[in-house]
Amino acid sequence: MKIPRIYSQLAHGPRGVGGRWKSAADEAGWYGSCKGPLVLVLTADFPPGPGSPPAPGREYWLARPASAVRELAEVTAVVLGIAFAGWFAPVTYHVFGYVYLFAVIALSLRVGRWPVLFAAVASAVVWNYVFIPPRLSFSVLDFDDSLMLGTYCFAALIGGQLTARIRAQERTERQRERRASALLHLSRALTAARSFDEAAAAALRQADGLFSARTALLLAGETGELAPHPAGSYPLTAADAAAAPRARHAGVAVGRLAHPADLAPALHVPLRRAERALGVFVVALPAAVRSLTLPQRDLIEAFAAQIALLVEREQLRAASERERRLAESERLHRTLLDSVSHELKTPLAVLRSAVERLEAAPGGPTTVLTAEIRTAAARLDDTVANLLHQTRLESGAVRPRLDWCDPRDLITAARRRAGDALANRPVTLEIEPDVPLVRTDAVLTEHALANLLLNAARHTPAGSAVRIAARCDVVNPRLRLEVGDRGPGIPVERRRDLFQKFQRGPRAPAGGLGLGLSIARGFMLAQGGDAVVSDEPGGGACFSLLLPFAEPAEVPDDDR
Amino acid sequence: MTADPTRPDILVVDDEIQIRRLLRLTLEAAGYAVREAPTAQAGQAELVRRGPDAVILDLGLPDESGIELLRRLREWSPVPVVILSVLGQEDRKVAALDAGADDYLTKPFGSAELLARLRALLRRIKPAVAASRFRFGRIEVDLAARRVARDGAPLHLTSMEYALLQLFVAHRDKVLTHRQILRELWGPNAERHTHYLRTYMLRLRRKLEDDADFPRHFLTESGVGYRFVSEPAGT
Repeated sequence: MKIPRIYSQLAHGPRGVGGRWKSAADEAGWYGSCKGPLVLVLTADFPPGPGSPPAPGREYWLARPASAVRELAEVTAVVLGIAFAGWFAPVTYHVFGYVYLFAVIALSLRVGRWPVLFAAVASAVVWNYVFIPPRLSFSVLDFDDSLMLGTYCFAALIGGQLTARIRAQERTERQRERRASALLHLSRALTAARSFDEAAAAALRQADGLFSARTALLLAGETGELAPHPAGSYPLTAADAAAAPRARHAGVAVGRLAHPADLAPALHVPLRRAERALGVFVVALPAAVRSLTLPQRDLIEAFAAQIALLVEREQLRAASERERRLAESERLHRTLLDSVSHELKTPLAVLRSAVERLEAAPGGPTTVLTAEIRTAAARLDDTVANLLHQTRLESGAVRPRLDWCDPRDLITAARRRAGDALANRPVTLEIEPDVPLVRTDAVLTEHALANLLLNAARHTPAGSAVRIAARCDVVNPRLRLEVGDRGPGIPVERRRDLFQKFQRGPRAPAGGLGLGLSIARGFMLAQGGDAVVSDEPGGGACFSLLLPFAEPAEVPDDDR
Repeated sequence: MTADPTRPDILVVDDEIQIRRLLRLTLEAAGYAVREAPTAQAGQAELVRRGPDAVILDLGLPDESGIELLRRLREWSPVPVVILSVLGQEDRKVAALDAGADDYLTKPFGSAELLARLRALLRRIKPAVAASRFRFGRIEVDLAARRVARDGAPLHLTSMEYALLQLFVAHRDKVLTHRQILRELWGPNAERHTHYLRTYMLRLRRKLEDDADFPRHFLTESGVGYRFVSEPAGT
């Protein structure tokens, strides 16, 4: 922070110079003792000592433009004071020209441009009236005196105006620097904080000190409700509680200091980040503060922006933490499922292979018994598989691997998977010749389709026909994989619950958990599809898997 | 475990003792010599001690993934490897096949299936006289003359279709992953373009299969790839 600053410093003056300027020069470490009355001290910033004030920028916050009336009164007092004192001084009237010139320039260090102008004119008038003989009357000037008065007027005007301009610049510069210093201090405190709560508390305490106010921080929770942060020092009144959401939704500051008609005693500044208000920063200033200057308002807004940044960072951190935890729990879940699956399936695999070997061995035990074991093992295998699939679906562990598939392949694989269940049934295939490729997880969709085939085989009379079709829905573009049967059909009132788990038809044969259709639908939903049931034309039920379409990219052609 | 030079030597790497015992029973009954290893490390040691004729490798081993073992093995040996995996692990299957496995079996599998796969793999390392003519179903392929005929009538294949057929014939009875085929025919940049493959497979099936809607020779291995079977079971 090496911003060179300009102090206009009056080093030696007979009177009327505020101690403030002197101390500024002291601090600057260089004290002008030059011959002339006006000394410019150029200096870098004050070194930040260990005993720096608790809330830097406070002067900036407190700086209020002096009232014009007060400044005019000051000017009048000085001009008249000199006239009064000079009355008794045993010097010629010429001297007062210098005294007044000095006074005007000294005043220009304290007051604005217009009061300085006033001082120049008034002092010329008073000088003439009081000092230029004849005293206490406006004199008819001789050539020397009028020249002197004219030069005086010009010198006072130019000197006063220049000094006032430099002072205004210096003042702006100083304000800017103090504002920066306040914000720097804040951001340092935020960086040093080890947690969000600590950072929020640090920010609020700084605001408390800087603004001589009590503050509160309201943060939007996941439901969108504003909740006060415990570090706040200002208990919200009912009017404040009503004002905070208004500030948040409007995106602008609300409160009596923003609109005189507003009832909320505190100022509510929304914490905005990219069109989103993350919360509200509440500053309750003492009741004596009736209005805010632009720089004051600006500093509060800057504070709110810093806090908004902090809140956003915290939210991002929390989100990534949540993500990580979720991934971790998912991984655990999956590992558990995998090991349970392995532990259940390995003995079953052994059982099946062993029975196979038994049946193949010459002179083995009676085939009736081994066939029983084989059937039981197969059934157990199906049950375990279904339960695991259902669990995977419910725990969200089903992650479809979408890739381009030929619907013919899906049907072939499902038929192979359904195996002997369809052995003694006439199966008709209706595949539209130009049925397009679909983007789907082949394993899941085959499984779902096989479940529909098994369902048809299970619930329709032995030997009745099964129709498998692949067609496009033209209206709502998607692929339909249909399994039509010649069974009793599904009454309309049963259709809604049909795909729920553990639903078994009233006339269903014994055995089975009622998971097949639920799994089929689950697998389709997991990849953006669906499963539905309707009437098969000519009697029976028609189960359909629906898959969304996507246009595949061009296939390079070769006609050679 | 005496080394019998006439019997093919199979190394089984699986941590489940029951599976190992069953595989031993099945394989020995079919005339193979069997060695066992319960961990990847033990498997590695067995592989180094004496190269087997084929390896049956479980992917879920306690000390490290079977794929790791496979990758190391492939750095120095082309020995046929059949991997064992459970249903729903298509990713791992594809990864293992891409890492150099020759075939896979999904648990639970039948012994007939296992023996058929093993036979096909062992046949390939000792190929019969490389025939330039090759028959499957009603199709005859003359690899030397680049001619394809159905029931004696010539059949026109585009160059891409022929290349695809050639690839399948060269790897008959073996599973080829999508990535392997795409890389071979369309280059490494096309590895993700499964829809090329689907489209050409449909064209090839329409020309070479009796019923393209229910193919018997050009089989789809769900989520993995394709397998060309010259003599489907049950014919």
